[in-house]
Amino acid sequence: MNHGLTEDQASILAGLDQLLGSRAPAAPTHPVTFIHDAALDGAIAEAGFLDIAREPGFGALDAALIVERLARLPCALEAAASAIVAPALDIAAGLRPIALATDPAAAVRHLPMARALLYPRGEAAVLIEIDPARVTPVETLFAYPYGRLDGLEGLAERVVGEAATLRRRWRIALAVEAAGCMAAGVAAVVEHITTRHAFGRPLGSFQAIQHRLARAAETTEATKWLAFRAAWTDSEADAAIAAGFAQQRIAELTYDLQQFSGAMGLTLEFPLHLWTYRLRALAGELGGATVQSRAAAAAAWGD
Amino acid sequence: MEFGWTQEEAAHRERVRAVLARVLPPDWEDIARHGPGSDEQTAFSKIFCPALHAEGLLIPHWPKPYGGQDESIWRQFIMAEELWAVGEPRGPQYMNVNWVGPVMFKFGTQAQLETYLPPILAGQAVWCQGFSEPSAGSDLAALRTAATPVEGGYRVNGGKIWTSYAAQADTCFLLARVPAAEGVSSGKAAIVILLVDMKSPGIQVKPIPALVGQGDIHEVFFDDVFVPAENRLGAEGQAWEIINYLLQHERVGIPRYALARRTLDRAVARLKSQGRWDDPVLRDRAGQALMLCEAARMMCYRVVDGKARDLPDDAFGSLARVAVVEAENGVSAFLTEFMPDGLLGGDPMQQAHHQRAIAAGVAAGPAEIQLNLIAQRWLNLPREPRAR
Ligand SMILES: Cc1cc2nc3c(=O)[nH]c(=O)nc-3n(C[C@H](O)[C@H](O)[C@H](O)COP(=O)(O)OP(=O)(O)OC[C@H]3O[C@@H](n4cnc5c(N)ncnc54)[C@H](O)[C@@H]3O)c2cc1C
Repeated sequence: MNHGLTEDQASILAGLDQLLGSRAPAAPTHPVTFIHDAALDGAIAEAGFLDIAREPGFGALDAALIVERLARLPCALEAAASAIVAPALDIAAGLRPIALATDPAAAVRHLPMARALLYPRGEAAVLIEIDPARVTPVETLFAYPYGRLDGLEGLAERVVGEAATLRRRWRIALAVEAAGCMAAGVAAVVEHITTRHAFGRPLGSFQAIQHRLARAAETTEATKWLAFRAAWTDSEADAAIAAGFAQQRIAELTYDLQQFSGAMGLTLEFPLHLWTYRLRALAGELGGATVQSRAAAAAAWGD
Repeated sequence: MEFGWTQEEAAHRERVRAVLARVLPPDWEDIARHGPGSDEQTAFSKIFCPALHAEGLLIPHWPKPYGGQDESIWRQFIMAEELWAVGEPRGPQYMNVNWVGPVMFKFGTQAQLETYLPPILAGQAVWCQGFSEPSAGSDLAALRTAATPVEGGYRVNGGKIWTSYAAQADTCFLLARVPAAEGVSSGKAAIVILLVDMKSPGIQVKPIPALVGQGDIHEVFFDDVFVPAENRLGAEGQAWEIINYLLQHERVGIPRYALARRTLDRAVARLKSQGRWDDPVLRDRAGQALMLCEAARMMCYRVVDGKARDLPDDAFGSLARVAVVEAENGVSAFLTEFMPDGLLGGDPMQQAHHQRAIAAGVAAGPAEIQLNLIAQRWLNLPREPRAR
């Protein structure tokens, strides 16, 4: 048991921070519900950060550390599926971005930019390579690009592993990504309420706000440590617990963060929605908290 | 970063379990159901602690010069998890090994060490913690019990409340205030710590009937109680530093989620035996309670990790406390809704857990105080203006 970074992990994250520091994500020129930064996505992938779990001596936890860091960015990068899910399946490095679906006919996160769509079919995890021309973007408040495939005709499904593996890693990926979004959302709101004054004092000095944000901090930390543990153990129970905990808490956390940002928080100009509306998208994935909760119960106690 | 146990740590856990299986009597649950402060459990602690010591498991985390083995905090915590999960057979004596001893090593005189350590090692010492007062709970620094300097020591007058184990205790770890005229200053600086013999003339203990376990809360009255100067711990004015040191040891000392988790495991076994485990709603809710237990576990592990790696104290202890309160209440709420019969005589251990759970958010500093600390020390939010 050791919560500290290894030297390798510290230097990988330092390298990532250096890359991110040297090139600020492209600022949107007009109001957007999500930010897509293809150049940054390419730079991160090219530098190999998303393939870390494939390296000898490294694994899903190392990938999770990277994904959590990336999720704190305002832009919606596809990192979690590439870095955490794909390495556990028969998917070549570099075949990405990857969109994850429970139903390939539904509107799917990351699909407009994806080169591959991964979903469960019965007991199997199957992958199809995507022709972007066949994807229609879906307008949404969720701060991810969403798209819908025009159908499966003519697309070859390839079995890349077991559906259970896909689901387990997806849960871990979801929890890790949620942890990063929560951390960034809390930080944005802390800054807002520290600088904004009302009634002659900073908003952040009101206990009614402090307590709810303190709980948001507790949610964020608990989500993070549950997610990192799940990435390390790669166990069914830990994965379901981490994802379920995150999903369970998202409604309360995002409500509070939005609330403390006032009307400003409801604008596209204020960046908060770039995290809260990713979180709200994650809340409903894989069937939502109750599915994860029942899966956790089954993994812990059996039928 | 890694989240596994070494072989040696796993073997330690197995050993603790084996010792518990051997040492706990068949009627242990009957003993445990009244709570750590009950007559039954206190009496049993005086059999159990010596047995634990014989196994080398009472104070292995203490430094070698004091009879310990300098064992790692992780081993200490593994043992605490196992003991708390079965209902804390050390009874009130868990305090001795968690913080009374360590506080003595750091701040005690040679004579104090010689007086107080042997009974702890013998597994026969019961301490109580005389901090809270009727008008000083959350705001501990408002305490008023007076320690008036007199020839050879102090005269103590005042009253304490909510004092656990007081009726059984040999010694009280008492906070009192030196009168402003005599003291270096007022406020926190005028507090002294006195180690008071509970048999001293002038002390009266009154149990308070309560929803929590037996022997858990009392009033203690001090009427002109003489305390010799050599029973003062540390210097006048040093008390607050000692209290902070103590609370650091106290707050990670109790892995409450371990009993919550075990209670939940038992409940699921009962639900299965009642043929109710097919209900998806019930499974969902059990899963939610499970998540809260595991969240609390991971948060507490992060606190222990900070100590193991000697990191500076941050506000994470408060984050962990909040998670623990949520786990305790989450499990207890699940059981109250789905297994109310457990509180109607159906499962005494469910009731025992319930009684601990309802105190989790209040005892050792309310959850709301932890939220204040998180806001100020973790999120660095501006302080609320103080009332004058
Ligand atoms: C089972 C049990 C065992 C205990 N054992 C001991 C013991 O051995 N020795 C000992 O000295 N004490 C003991 N206590 C007392 C415990 O430390 C106090 O109950 C606790 O510090 C709170 O004080 P209070 O009860 O006076 O609550 P109050 O100070 O009256 O507060 C009541 C409530 O108000 C809220 N509140 C208070 N202050 C604030 C604030 N600043 N911001 C927001 N909300 C606030 C909290 O919700 C709090 O619970 C024990 C308590 C329990 C329940």
